[in-house]
Amino acid sequence: MSRKECIAMLLAGGQGSRLGALTQKIAKPAVSFGGKFRIIDFALSNCTNSGIDTVGVLTQYRPYLLHSYIGSGEAWDMDNRDGGVSILPPYATQDGGAWYAGTADAITQNIDYIKGYDPDYVLILSGDHLYRMDYRKMLETHIAHGAELTVSVMPVPWEEASRFGILTTDDDDRIVKFSEKPEAPDSNLASMGIYIFSKDVLIEVLEEDAVDQRSSHDFGNDIIPKMLEEGRRLYTYEFKGFWKDVGTIASFHETSMDLLGEHPEFDLFDKSFPVLSNITTRPPHYIGPEARVSDCLISNGCRVYGTVTHSILSTDAIVHERAVVEDSVLLPGAEVKAGAHVRRAILGENAVVEEGVKLGSIDTTRDTAVVGNDVVIGKGE
Amino acid sequence: MINNLAIGYITANYISREASALTQERPLASIPFMGRYRLIDFPLSNMMNADIKTVGLVMPGNCRSIIDHVGSGKDWTLDRKKGGLFLVPGNAYGTSKRGMRFLLRDIIANVELFRRSTKPYVVMMGSNIIFNLDLDEIIEAHRTSGAGVTMIYAIAQRDQPDAQSLAIGDRGRVREVRSGCGFGECKFMDAFIIDRRLLLNIIEDYATADYLDLFDAIRSDFERIDVCSYEFKGLMVGIFNQKTYYDRSMDLLRPETYDRLFQPSRPIITKAHDAAPAKYNAGCNVPDSLISAGCVIKGTVRGSILSRGVVVESGAKVRNSIIMQGCHVCAGATVENAILDKNNYVPENTELRGTLDDTLVIGKAPIRR
Repeated sequence: MSRKECIAMLLAGGQGSRLGALTQKIAKPAVSFGGKFRIIDFALSNCTNSGIDTVGVLTQYRPYLLHSYIGSGEAWDMDNRDGGVSILPPYATQDGGAWYAGTADAITQNIDYIKGYDPDYVLILSGDHLYRMDYRKMLETHIAHGAELTVSVMPVPWEEASRFGILTTDDDDRIVKFSEKPEAPDSNLASMGIYIFSKDVLIEVLEEDAVDQRSSHDFGNDIIPKMLEEGRRLYTYEFKGFWKDVGTIASFHETSMDLLGEHPEFDLFDKSFPVLSNITTRPPHYIGPEARVSDCLISNGCRVYGTVTHSILSTDAIVHERAVVEDSVLLPGAEVKAGAHVRRAILGENAVVEEGVKLGSIDTTRDTAVVGNDVVIGKGE
Repeated sequence: MINNLAIGYITANYISREASALTQERPLASIPFMGRYRLIDFPLSNMMNADIKTVGLVMPGNCRSIIDHVGSGKDWTLDRKKGGLFLVPGNAYGTSKRGMRFLLRDIIANVELFRRSTKPYVVMMGSNIIFNLDLDEIIEAHRTSGAGVTMIYAIAQRDQPDAQSLAIGDRGRVREVRSGCGFGECKFMDAFIIDRRLLLNIIEDYATADYLDLFDAIRSDFERIDVCSYEFKGLMVGIFNQKTYYDRSMDLLRPETYDRLFQPSRPIITKAHDAAPAKYNAGCNVPDSLISAGCVIKGTVRGSILSRGVVVESGAKVRNSIIMQGCHVCAGATVENAILDKNNYVPENTELRGTLDDTLVIGKAPIRR
């Protein structure tokens, strides 16, 4: 295989337990999002749009759907003769085998994959955010700084800074301090969990970390603090744009709602940096004679006979006569039967809300209602 | 079925007898249909759903749009190492305005396709009568009947002078193929199964009559060849000209009709595109319409079919119309009883109106940047 300037390693093995019912049977990156996409589409599309054609996807938790969805990578133009998408699950060796014990450990276990391509740089990503990012710009600053590690950061409101991993920098964007969820933050630059390492440095620090008994083998907890301690050249790359978490029920719902409106910050319609997905061909959707739709995204294969307001209907979702769907997300195949009301809710794939059932509340102080995949909600439940 | 027994042959070089802006630059086979499809998707998908892995697609002269659409055949899993999709030449004057479907000359020119195959049967289809059928079942019926040819027909729901009808005798034997088809007659669906060896013999025997349609050539031989029939009881949609195109599209707006054509167990596959879901803004009104991905709707759309990426601005009205990919209907404009081919731009406050009997058709516009 030929040498690559930069390859990506996409951490997609997490369970995503904070997505509750939605990740009971599938890994978080495989959860449907934005009508016809799955969460992993955004990171993979960013790679394609950034000219990165070699991506190792590290999987672990309930990987079947994720594996079949990624397939050969052709949906993201990654079915290359040289490179492309490789799925990297945990594996056994002569000394036995082990699950991925942390973000850094997952990369360590696949160091041979990286060495095989012998890239100059390695981009490390996680697949649980909605954002559009040209990683080439980040790579340019990494090279310009002569950095060993560049961490992508995003300014967050000061009052929220204590929820994030915060990086403190000097005037030249060189990182001087890393604090995980600091009580009294002295910076508001949050780590986005996107790293570019110079390959030789990455291999060196991972090999050291692998034999460190005290390490939890995590980039944030172990690798970055240790590299800072050693006085290595760590820089930030400040990302300006939309970047939002979809890893909890509340953020999944909120970020979904952010896609609506006439001029959303994250525009799915932007063709210059398109979001690619592995779609199933379904016919156009049908809006019935009595239906009312307003401020929605509606996908192929849907049927709408009732009223849908400020909501997202994913592929093949059905809303029957006199049903009302408001501020909600219907994942693929979800069905709201006649006369049912669904408000501020997420209905999992193929979930059914039976006739006349009232689900959820528009009261924003209450939790978003969630119905798991394939679950049927009848009256009195 | 693990052991698929047939290869496919699709003629995409039909030409409509009537001139239309819709078919000025493209053959009937690549007319956009039902929002995101083209007619050629139907024969390809029928074959795909029967696990046919080798298909010869007979190209028309103006083949750009078909080649663009089918590409390597990947979407229909026809990008095979063994077999796959063969874009084969068709006669420039091929199945022309004379209403021919399976010109012998085209079959002869592509005899290699049939010689190389090891499968016992060839499924042949046209591309302007569309349907969604269980081809496995029909191949099995053909196999057990022992007939040389099995022609697939359905009972015509209306008169169709451009179609062909079958005169059927005892035990489903086809006695004659007639041009023109009246209500209640057995309308040939331009789809049949033929034994591959028989086809090779016909090619040899009738080489001098290569200007004929296959069924015209063998008409006096039906008895000997054993031409059988199979009645299809599903939905058959014939697109012969502008009017049938519009009328049948509007029929398919009704979900009960649409469901007969688009069955999840036998999906109709088309070229994959990456368009976002359709967006409906506050204040839009979209009763009784079929809308494709990538549309943005702020105005009113009623009783219409919108292809990918159509924009309907606020205050615009689209009614009883078919709007193809990339069209933009500006604020205050009205489009009624019309077909707008791709990329048309309807300026503010303009009116484009046809009548129920006389649909207004606007041809394809150059792509806008």
